Amino acid sequence: MMRRPAALIALCAGFVLSTQALAAELPQRWVSAGGALSEWVTALGGESRLVGVDTTSQHPASLKALPSVGYQRQLSAEGILSLRPDVLVGTEEMGPPPVLAQIRKAGVRVELFSSKAELDAVDQNLKHLGQLLGAEPQATALAAGYRQQLDALQAQVKHAQAGQKAPGVLLLVGHAGAKPLIAGQGTAGDWLLRQAGAHNLAEHQGYKNFSNEALAALDPDVVVFSDRALADEQALQALLKENPALAASRAVREQRLVSLDPTLLVGGLGPRLPATLRSLAATFYPAAKGSFAQ
Amino acid sequence: MLQVEGLHLRRGSNEVLHDIHLQLTLGQVVGVLGPNGAGKSSLLGVLCGELAPDQGHVTLQGRPLADWAGQERARRLAVLPQVSSLGFSFRVEEVVGMGRMPHGSGQVRDAEIVEAALRAADAWHLQGRSYLALSGGERQRVHLARVLAQLWPGEQGTTLLLDEPTSMLDPLHQHTTLQAVRRFADRGAAVLVILHDLNLAARYCDRILLLEQGRCHALASPDEVLTPGALKAVFGIDVLVQAHPERGHPLIITR
Amino acid sequence: MRQRVQPRTLIICLSLLCLLAVWLSLALGPVSLPLFDTLRAGLRLLGLPIAGDGLQQAEMILGQIRLPRTLLGLAVGAVLALSGVAMQGLFRNPLADPGLVGVAAGAAMGAAVAIVGGSWFGGMPEVLAPYLLSLCAFIGGLGVTALVYRLGRRDGQTNVATMLLAGVAMTALGGAAVGLFSYLADDATLRTLTFWNLGSLNGASYERLWPLLMVATGVALWLPRRARALNALLLGESEARHLGIEVERLKRELVFCTALGVGAAVAAAGLIGFIGLVVPHLVRLLAGPDHRVVLPASLLAGGVLMLFADLAARLLLAPAELPIGIVTAFIGAPFFLFLLIRGRS
Repeated sequence: MMRRPAALIALCAGFVLSTQALAAELPQRWVSAGGALSEWVTALGGESRLVGVDTTSQHPASLKALPSVGYQRQLSAEGILSLRPDVLVGTEEMGPPPVLAQIRKAGVRVELFSSKAELDAVDQNLKHLGQLLGAEPQATALAAGYRQQLDALQAQVKHAQAGQKAPGVLLLVGHAGAKPLIAGQGTAGDWLLRQAGAHNLAEHQGYKNFSNEALAALDPDVVVFSDRALADEQALQALLKENPALAASRAVREQRLVSLDPTLLVGGLGPRLPATLRSLAATFYPAAKGSFAQ
Repeated sequence: MLQVEGLHLRRGSNEVLHDIHLQLTLGQVVGVLGPNGAGKSSLLGVLCGELAPDQGHVTLQGRPLADWAGQERARRLAVLPQVSSLGFSFRVEEVVGMGRMPHGSGQVRDAEIVEAALRAADAWHLQGRSYLALSGGERQRVHLARVLAQLWPGEQGTTLLLDEPTSMLDPLHQHTTLQAVRRFADRGAAVLVILHDLNLAARYCDRILLLEQGRCHALASPDEVLTPGALKAVFGIDVLVQAHPERGHPLIITR
Repeated sequence: MRQRVQPRTLIICLSLLCLLAVWLSLALGPVSLPLFDTLRAGLRLLGLPIAGDGLQQAEMILGQIRLPRTLLGLAVGAVLALSGVAMQGLFRNPLADPGLVGVAAGAAMGAAVAIVGGSWFGGMPEVLAPYLLSLCAFIGGLGVTALVYRLGRRDGQTNVATMLLAGVAMTALGGAAVGLFSYLADDATLRTLTFWNLGSLNGASYERLWPLLMVATGVALWLPRRARALNALLLGESEARHLGIEVERLKRELVFCTALGVGAAVAAAGLIGFIGLVVPHLVRLLAGPDHRVVLPASLLAGGVLMLFADLAARLLLAPAELPIGIVTAFIGAPFFLFLLIRGRS
């Protein structure tokens, strides 16, 4: 009779000890390379474990206080090792390969994630992250919530398309307005536009320069611009100044111009996207604006 | 001895040298005179192997010039070009020392020869200075010392070719240079020197080759070559020729 | 005339400086290792029987990261400096740079082909990628130099001025080709291309090092043997010929030494500029233009400069890293301008 509480205590102790042991196996010091990945880690509550991030990890702002390990394609082996990490997480955009090999040789885990612009990639990444953080239930919830938000958005977009044709849109990525690259098929930008219900007027693959004339010929209904150097209003001014041919387009005449944070286009799909997609969709379908607000 | 026979040289459709015969004998200074474009530098080019003749052959000590190996030839034949384009700040004695490259005479002997050559070219006071800091005339004398060092002491079997070695020199040094060349010849070297100053040629040369449009107008002693008739025909100038009051060689006075 | 540093003094000082640079390069880095640990790990790597507990990290950092990097820096610096001397001798101009003959442009083209072509074929196996890049850069550099050399040859003689102009044209063509490849590349490969253009000793490994070490040793052993001939070449081509030097053969050797050296260095570490210009110039300023001093001194000084530049690249922004080409450009470009201004006065 007296053995049951003891067994219970032993069972509880065992359970606690095993979770502790499990926690001890989980990497405690993280270096993250890839903006979206760092955001997911933060979303899953792992920010306290980050000891270093790359230059593309700028959200949330508190990450900028962490030591920088450089651009994700040009990491420094010794630099990362000096932070004594247990794990290096990044997408396949991470490099250079010899450095990753050196880091592995030093006994640090290197976990690769997908940067593809697909929902399945997000699911996979979240599951993997959840395992590494010991936060599987939160990860599953986040993934489900993400998918749900995107499905809801799809439904709203379809609804809006009943009353209005999909607008022709171009996504321009520039640097202080000059030489903007147009997001073509297969890019993260393209995925964004399509999710928000737009018709991407650019038919080419990847990001390419266009001549001003070609830009004018496409005559988009809406222009989404993303600038690596300037923000919002300044970016718009610079864009219009450097590309006067745009002024003739319908988008500019009707003032249908949207600014987009460039970090959203790098490192895979991140947690801030649903909100951005909603505001994009609202701009694309002004008549149905109300339904996108949340 | 350097010898050329039946030399023809063409550049494009121009005949630059026509049927030249010349033999440089030891101990003699041959001066080459002629107006611009007469072919003086081309002749020197052929004699030193820079230019290949279209017809005729150049022989050094009986062997065709082209058959000589580089260093072997360099021990017997030295050339002083008209201009130098050295753009690095070597010291004067280093420049002269390069003349000793074809020889394996060792550092001590080389240093002695360099000093002797510099003195002969009246450039010993320039030693220790940077080549780039010298004037045009001083540089010319350093290069003269270099070619003298290359053939030092100028014995039989060595040949010295000089392309206008006095062009940038003041009157004193024009004479000291040619005197050094003369002394070289006196020791047995064969010398050919292109000059444009008729009186210098008259004083220092044993024979003169007068070129006109690539052809040999005359090849003989200064007395025989430097006549008013010849000079009028080749240069188009009216001259008086008198004997130098102290030395006796022809003195050309333009009327 | 300004006093010259004695050759022996210069070589000794440079050797000591070289040892210091190697020491600092091995001892300093973003990972702060206690000096004692570095020493012990170093001795263990040399094969001495010393207790190795607690030294794993030091051994790993030293042996896998810092040592190959130091060796790479020494080799690249030495080869680039020697190539600079060779080019300056060939063009008889102290401002000549190996890039003038188009080697760098050719190497850049080769690398662009490898980087962009690789992405077209759906990416290469990761292990193969660095070797393919190196090989393509090497072939590109050698190919362009050979072409430029042929263009400059006429009647069995090499016209240096023509070579120079052909080199300039090749550099322009190379730049256009790289631009075209950049245009055709997707964002990812474009970034890789850009970073390669800036040069870096990052990720140095022993596998990448061997070809460069072989070339560097070859060039370092060969050029000093031609020191006197190079001196004579500075007088002028015909003057050198009249001193008994086989000028055409010497020019050929200089061109190929440079192409091999620069091609190998660029293939191993990307485009790193100005070493070939700055180092020989400094050496000449100190000890005069005699190649018997300039060649060995430039070899040492090139290595030293490279290692110090790499220290700056590694430590200034730790734990991130500056591409070393930026550091050398910041040193070299103002120096070059200073030389030009001084030359005018």
